[in-house]
Amino acid sequence: MMDIFETMKSLCRLPGVSGWEGPVREEILSRLQGKCECRVDALGNILAFKKGKTAPKNKLLFSAHMDEVGFIITYIEDSGLLRFAGVGGIDSRVVLGKAVEVGEKGLYGVIGSKAVHLQEEKERSEPGKLDKLYIDIGAESREQALEQVQPGDRAVFCADYGSLGDKLIFGRALDDRAGCALLLEMIERELPYDCHFSFTVQEETGCTGGITAGYAVAPDIAVAVETTTASDIAGVDPDKVVCSLGKGPVVSFMDKGTVYDPQLYRLALDTARDRGIPCQTKQGVFGGNESRSLQTARGGARAMAVSVPCRYLHSPAGVVSSEDITHTGELLAALAEVLADL
Amino acid sequence: MMDTARLLLEFSALTGVSGAENEAAEYAAGLLKQYGPVTVTPLGSVLCAARPAREGRPHLLLDAHIDEIGMIVTYIEDTGFLRVAPCGGIDRRLLLASRVTVHTDSGAIAGIICSTPPHLSGEEDKKNKKVEEIYIDIGYDGEAAREKVHPGDRVTINAHSRQLLGGLVSGKAIDDRAGCVALLLALGELGDTELDCGLTVQFSTMEEVGGAGAKTAAYLIKPTHAIAVDVGFGMTPDSPKEKCGELKKGPMIGFAPILSREMSAELAELCRMEEIPWQPDVMGRSTSTNADSIAVVGGGVVTGLLSIPQKYMHTPIETVAVEDVENTGKLLAAYAKSLGRGTE
Repeated sequence: MMDIFETMKSLCRLPGVSGWEGPVREEILSRLQGKCECRVDALGNILAFKKGKTAPKNKLLFSAHMDEVGFIITYIEDSGLLRFAGVGGIDSRVVLGKAVEVGEKGLYGVIGSKAVHLQEEKERSEPGKLDKLYIDIGAESREQALEQVQPGDRAVFCADYGSLGDKLIFGRALDDRAGCALLLEMIERELPYDCHFSFTVQEETGCTGGITAGYAVAPDIAVAVETTTASDIAGVDPDKVVCSLGKGPVVSFMDKGTVYDPQLYRLALDTARDRGIPCQTKQGVFGGNESRSLQTARGGARAMAVSVPCRYLHSPAGVVSSEDITHTGELLAALAEVLADL
Repeated sequence: MMDTARLLLEFSALTGVSGAENEAAEYAAGLLKQYGPVTVTPLGSVLCAARPAREGRPHLLLDAHIDEIGMIVTYIEDTGFLRVAPCGGIDRRLLLASRVTVHTDSGAIAGIICSTPPHLSGEEDKKNKKVEEIYIDIGYDGEAAREKVHPGDRVTINAHSRQLLGGLVSGKAIDDRAGCVALLLALGELGDTELDCGLTVQFSTMEEVGGAGAKTAAYLIKPTHAIAVDVGFGMTPDSPKEKCGELKKGPMIGFAPILSREMSAELAELCRMEEIPWQPDVMGRSTSTNADSIAVVGGGVVTGLLSIPQKYMHTPIETVAVEDVENTGKLLAAYAKSLGRGTE
């Protein structure tokens, strides 16, 4: 039986910036081999189908995205320094002073600027803009840099993966490799009903993969398996917390991209309560995910989002609770049962 | 001897935040003992008497600081989040979402500097937070956190230290382990060569918080001459040119009121003779290095300053060229060989 934490760890270590999800796709495909039917569509989504014990009344799709936020090399200076743009919602305050890996070979680079001693007070207090920063790979000329890097190459933060305290896990790209690992776990198990699964591309740049995955599968009910912002950190007012680590999977009624099916929302909360699985509501209309693409595919699908609460999304180190991962897995297994016959 | 890049990466990976330099200092003592008797001062600086001082003869002190910038735990919130103050000049622009290590009596604890998510970013969040305003998440509740962490524990920002292209090395604490490595290289280069001067090497503590380590160590050593070896500003596109040296163009020889004009000129002359590249580093006031305090120890010390050009000072991605470190070592050895020569 697979260990979901081992799966999540190996997925988080792979670079997969939007539009360049290859390494993640390869890893997931190798893990799917022999366990279900699967194919890769024109955009790079993995579409998988696994037969359950029975054919369901509703066609079910569970979806998680493979891509992560990161950087794209836009221009190489004569000096050999690399200019870049953010891919997806990168917070410019978390970029400076970080080491990155560029391209598929993982070339090491650093994002620096002038020394703190040489900055004016205003420079110290104002966050830098991404377009003023550069990646230094040590190349001394454009020619030397071009031997290693091309414009269009992606870069990710160098990041490690590990434990924080006794119950928490930190890692880059937990958004949404945590979701990918949860789907892999579902596929690993015996399913009560037939289920479709999509591992999608380009969620962070406009939920693009979800558009074609939703079209191809044409589900009656689509469940986005995601991570969502937990702001249960010091200095945040209770009404801004959104959700908290350790309180179980998060079910959404609405976010900035989707108004969710109210019956499904309540069903998720009821199912969790009935089965004794901790579960929480996303308190506030923030963020969004590929539900908006899945919901509007073809003639429309009923949409639901089940998310793992995650601190510091889109940074070099997101943080999730191992208990929440387990409980989200339990809720998804329960939903695969109750949604099928709704 | 280990290859310079590897030595520098290994040395800089060790922890030694100002006032708690033990780990790095013990490693240094291990490396130094092959070159002469090693002692440790009351403030923790590590000394190695490579050539004994002799009455009436010049006695050269070579200094590099072993401490690194970091943070110090000031308070533990009921929620388990840590509050900190800076230990040295931390660049506040790069704090958020950094991985950190809290160094406690019972071992290292992983932490992450909290970053408020974009949906919460009000006007205040658009400014870079001061070190005193950040929280560190260690994943424990208040009770567990207070059991494991104590005010006064040091915190370092984690680095992914590695070699870049073109013979560069990047990581944390390269300021001033690069200087320490240059001193070790000089000792290696000197080998058993007989010198016309006494020679003591000091790896000094607490440079980043005022220089107490170097000042007190130099008092004990009573040198006649001294060279402080530190890192200097390396050129980046956004830096003022007149305050920077360039990587791979050799050690920066300091010229400043507190520094001996003669020694600065001799260092430059040695570079010409030995074909070592060098570049000037001119400061109108103090040097903001240990040279300032060493020069005024006791009745005064003839003092010079060599700086290894370094990009991204005081970050976890401090970057130097290995060849600059090696050339600094060569120059130091050449100076030690020249001091007092032919005067006995």
